[in-house]
Order: sequence, then C-alpha cells, then structure tokens
Amino acid sequence: MSDVLIDLSHIKTYFPQKKTLMGKVSTWVRAVDDVTLKILRGECLGLVGESGCGKSTLGRTILRLAPVLSGTIRFNGVEIQHLDEKAFQPYRPKMQMVFQDPRASLNPKMKVMQILSEALAICAHVEKIQYAQRATELMDMVDLRPEHLFRYPHEFSGGQQQRICIARALATQPEFLVFDEATSALDVSVQAQILNLMADLQKRLNLTFLFISHDLSIMEHICHRVAVMYAGQVMEIQDADALFASPRHPYTKALRDAVPIADPTQTDGMTILEGEVPSLLDPPQGCRFHPRCKHATGRCKQESPKADVIKLGNWVRCHHHLRLWKRGLLSD
Amino acid sequence: MHMSHKTHQTPILSVEDLSVSFGGSRGSAKILEGIEFELYPGEVLALVGETGCGKSVTAKSLLDLIPQLSRNRSGRVAFNGRDLLDLSSRELGKVRGHSIAMIFQNPQSSINPVFTLGEQMCRLIRMYLPDEIKTLCKQKMVKEKAATKQIAQEKLAEVGLTETDRLLKSYAHEISGGMAQRYKIALALLSSPEILIADEATSALDVTVQAHILRLLKEMSQKKGTAILFITHDLGIAAQICDRVAVMYSGRIVEIGSTLDIFQKPLHPYTRGLLEAVPKLGRKEPLRFVSGMIPDLANPPDGCRFHPRCDHTRAVCSKQRPIIIEKEDGHFVTCHLYSATLPDE
Repeated sequence: MSDVLIDLSHIKTYFPQKKTLMGKVSTWVRAVDDVTLKILRGECLGLVGESGCGKSTLGRTILRLAPVLSGTIRFNGVEIQHLDEKAFQPYRPKMQMVFQDPRASLNPKMKVMQILSEALAICAHVEKIQYAQRATELMDMVDLRPEHLFRYPHEFSGGQQQRICIARALATQPEFLVFDEATSALDVSVQAQILNLMADLQKRLNLTFLFISHDLSIMEHICHRVAVMYAGQVMEIQDADALFASPRHPYTKALRDAVPIADPTQTDGMTILEGEVPSLLDPPQGCRFHPRCKHATGRCKQESPKADVIKLGNWVRCHHHLRLWKRGLLSD
Repeated sequence: MHMSHKTHQTPILSVEDLSVSFGGSRGSAKILEGIEFELYPGEVLALVGETGCGKSVTAKSLLDLIPQLSRNRSGRVAFNGRDLLDLSSRELGKVRGHSIAMIFQNPQSSINPVFTLGEQMCRLIRMYLPDEIKTLCKQKMVKEKAATKQIAQEKLAEVGLTETDRLLKSYAHEISGGMAQRYKIALALLSSPEILIADEATSALDVTVQAHILRLLKEMSQKKGTAILFITHDLGIAAQICDRVAVMYSGRIVEIGSTLDIFQKPLHPYTRGLLEAVPKLGRKEPLRFVSGMIPDLANPPDGCRFHPRCDHTRAVCSKQRPIIIEKEDGHFVTCHLYSATLPDE
C-alpha cells in the first residue's frame, strides 16, 4: 500500500497582482511557493495552517482548479499539470473535492437525486437506468435514507448536507478526495459524526484524502500524516501522532500551543505567538517564519532552509531543528 | 430556586425566567424557555451549546437586539435595579454600548466600511469621554482634535495594537481580522462597560490570533472588573478563560456551574455527550457523539427536551419538565436523574 498516488514536485502557484503597462506581471501573490510532497495511496494527509497560508490553494492546485506556474503534479505516475482541459477530462472524476459550506455548495433548486445524477452523468460506466440504484447505494454509504433523495437541500441539517456533498463526491468513484475545511462549519457533535464517517469510508473504499483544516485537534483523529503550512510553504510533515507529541518546527509548536484545551486543569495552554502572518506579496527572505520565531539566528534571515528528513515521509524545514530538539525546546 | 452562587457578592445582572418565542408559519417557536442565570462583577461566564440552542438569542434578548415584530418575550432581566425588558427603546439606548457593550463574531463586517477607523473611534470618544478630552486639552495645551486622537491612540495601545497612527487612517478592509477584533474591543471598552457580551467573538479567527484576543479579554475583566458573558460553541475556550460555564440545549440552560465542576464532574447527560465529542490532541480513538438531532423548536419534545437523545431516559422524562436542582454548591442541573423523589417510581 505504499505506492504514491499524488506526487508534487516544486509546485508554485502564483496569482498576478499588478501588471506593468506592457502587460507584464510585476507583482505576484505567492500563494503556494515551492511545495514538494507525496501522498500515498490509502493515506489521509492533513494540511494545517493559518488563514491565508495557501493551504486551500494547494488543494485546488492538485485538482487543477488553480493555475500552476511551475513544478510537476503526478497522479498515479502521470504528469497532469500540462494537460489541456480535454486531455485532463478522464482524470477529473478520479479527483473530487468537498467544500467548507455545504449549504452553498448544493444547488438549492435541485433535489438530492438530481444533484447526485449530475455527478453520475459524467461516469461513462453508469447507465441512466442504474442512476436510482447507484444513488440509493451512495445514500446508504453516507448513512442517509433512500427517501431523502427526493428532498431539497434546505430540508436537511448542516451535518446531513455535508453527507450529501460527500455522497456526490463519491458518485464518480474517485481515488482521491480533497476536504477543504469540510467540518469547520459544523458543531462538535456533528463534526464528530462526519469525521467518523470519513474515516470509515476511507478504510472501506481505500480512498486517499487530503484533509485541509485550520483545526489541529481534529487532525490526529483521521489523518495518518500531517503537513504544516506557513506563508506558502510546507514547514513540516510528520506522522500525526509524532507531530503533536514532538513537533520539530517552532511554528508547529506555536500552532499546537495556541489551541484552547477543553480541560480547565491544563491552564498552561494558549501560549501566544507574537507578530502577524507575512504578506504573500513579499514574503520574508530566508526562513519565512524567522520574524516570529524566538529561536531565529542570522542564518535564518538569509538562507531558506531545506527539507531535512527525519524518517521516511517525515521531514522538517528548519535550520535548527536538531539543536532545538536535542535541547528539548520543542517538547513540553 | 435561582441558579446563583452562594457568595456574598451581588450579581450585576440576573436573568429570571426569560422566555422568547417567535411567531412563524408553522406556529410559534419557543426559542428560549425559562432561562435563568446570574452574572457577577469581574467574572467570565461561558454560554455554550450547539448551533440553534439559543445562545445568541439569549445575548441579544438582553439588549433587545431582536426584531420586535414577531417576537414575544417574558421574564425579568435585572440590571442595576432595573428590568431591562421594561425599558423604553430610548432608555435602553442609554444602556447599550454604555454599561453593556457587545462584540460580535465577524469584526470586519461590524465596522462601518465608509469611514476610517479613526473617524469612528473619535466620534465615540467625544461621546463617552468628554471630560478626559477637556483635561487633556488643558494639560497639554492642545486643540480638542489632537487630544481626541491621543486618547484614541492610548486606547488602541491598551488592547495591544501597534502602529496606531496608520491604523486610525485605515478603513475596515485594510486591516486583518485579528486587528479588527482588537479595535472592536477597544471601542467596546471606551465607555468602561460593566458587562461585555462577546458573541462568538473569536470563532472567525485563527487559533494563534484567537489566543491573543482571549488573553486580552481575560486581562480586561481582571483589571477593570468587567463581567463578560462569553458565547461560544468551543468548549476549549470555556475551559481556558471562563470562571463559570452554562450549558444550553434547545432553548434551556441544562447545567451551570464552575468551569472545574462542569469539565470534571459533568452532571447532565448532554454535557457529558458534548464533552466526549470534543477532539483532543493526543487522543486517537474514534470520536463519540450524541446520537440524534437537535429538536425542532416549533414542536419541541414534551418534558425534558433532551429525552429523545438521552441514554438514561425514564418514563418521567417525557412527561414532566425537570426542575433546577442544586447538586453541589453552585453547581446546578436540570435533569430528572438528580431528583430526590421521582413522581412515578
């Protein structure tokens, strides 16, 4: 099960901000700046970071919903970043996305059956006559009842709407799913149900997930590995349990320590990270985190750190991670 | 019996039997039913619950911020010896923003986009702090305008904002969410309110920014003795900064007690379910959740509103509404499990 499904190499996604009179772009928003990572088949990779760090753009870039400036995206070993729309079409059903706000991502004028049929229509192997049966199967997968097919989205609660979105994403029998803040709009109790459903579906259908969220505490429940993003770059990737137990990057630790813990006896929580997120128009030189890092040295200001492998599939981009780790500055 | 502390302190705000219902096409929906709680000076009280349980309606009802056309309400909200529900809109206008201030979830959208932050802030300073402006004018021999600006800068610095000069010239869209929320807090504190209502004030912010804002609010309440009613769905926030927690379910407060009691000895089955559904760092087993759905408020279940989802339901739960029981000192619960005598058993 260790084969690579998604292989990103030096991905850059820039958006033009300003153009000169000659139509040449003078300023870019560097939303994703040189990201290299692999997602294994059957894995759930978490992607965390503060708002504006480029995590959603990275998810959209993999699905070719955002333009790639340079770098390669391999899906199942095939390079897809340069394919034109027609050549890319066979890959679209294999990669699906579930968005944050389920209410906004379901057409209010369509019944659930129509919503699912739209997705089924792009699967060549499903005949029209099978739609009803397939739709019922999909509803069953997400624990909704067949009679729900004939209702409109507004008749469902937020959690149920998100189930419909998941059913629609599964309709094309995808191999890879991107969940972009898919549980952020839900209550804890409903969120727990959706997370359990996702973990269950992933095991049953051997799916590969990219789970984007700003909420660290839910990551460990469903993700195998977690990538931490800051100002357009991935700072650290580690196995989920290792990441929270012993973060290697100072930013990961800061992010983890800012989460309010639902335990009044642990009052040492909520350590404060000073400073603001840097502008993606003009990110800091060297390590992007250095202006806010209390361990930063002169080297951090000049030299951008390279990915340092900790073990297979786990790496960190920090000049001083070994020193910090040995001194126990990153553990509690 | 009131849900009150057995302390010598007198509450600054006490809500008694507050009920709110909305008329709708499907009949009237009882959004709030018999809400009772008290707020003491200098304390942070969390109001937690799921979406649609009535947390925000409770907060808004206190200041009558709900459109009046379709709502009916009853009960008593005692504040400084007056009942807020009895006040005329003119009298209530003197309370709003003055002695009871409120901050909202989305800071950027609650700032007027067509005026600079400075213009909006200086207007409020002239309104709330005319004496301070006058003394500053005399002391420093400056014009009123300069004095107002100086006060604005001081107040912004108090909430941890830097580059206040530039900030006062900016518009709402030019600043980040964290800065906007700090600015709103600075505005809310201008009138030195006795009560600050924070309605999901940090839900739209990143965890790192949220940590800043929470610490700031906690400090403000400790330093100035402002009582804070913190409405949130995040139990982590309640655990970290609140002194007491009130848990709401379907328009009623089901449990209220000190933060330690609520988290370590939760009594109500709903509170327990809610606590189990919280994802925790360093714990990997599947999340547990309260099965079933929140009830339809137009047609709520009889008796205890939680009984269709409760694991401990008895016959009495579907018939009779549970009364408030003080299980321990200052720890109140409304659940039949804790009744001394059960009517039909």
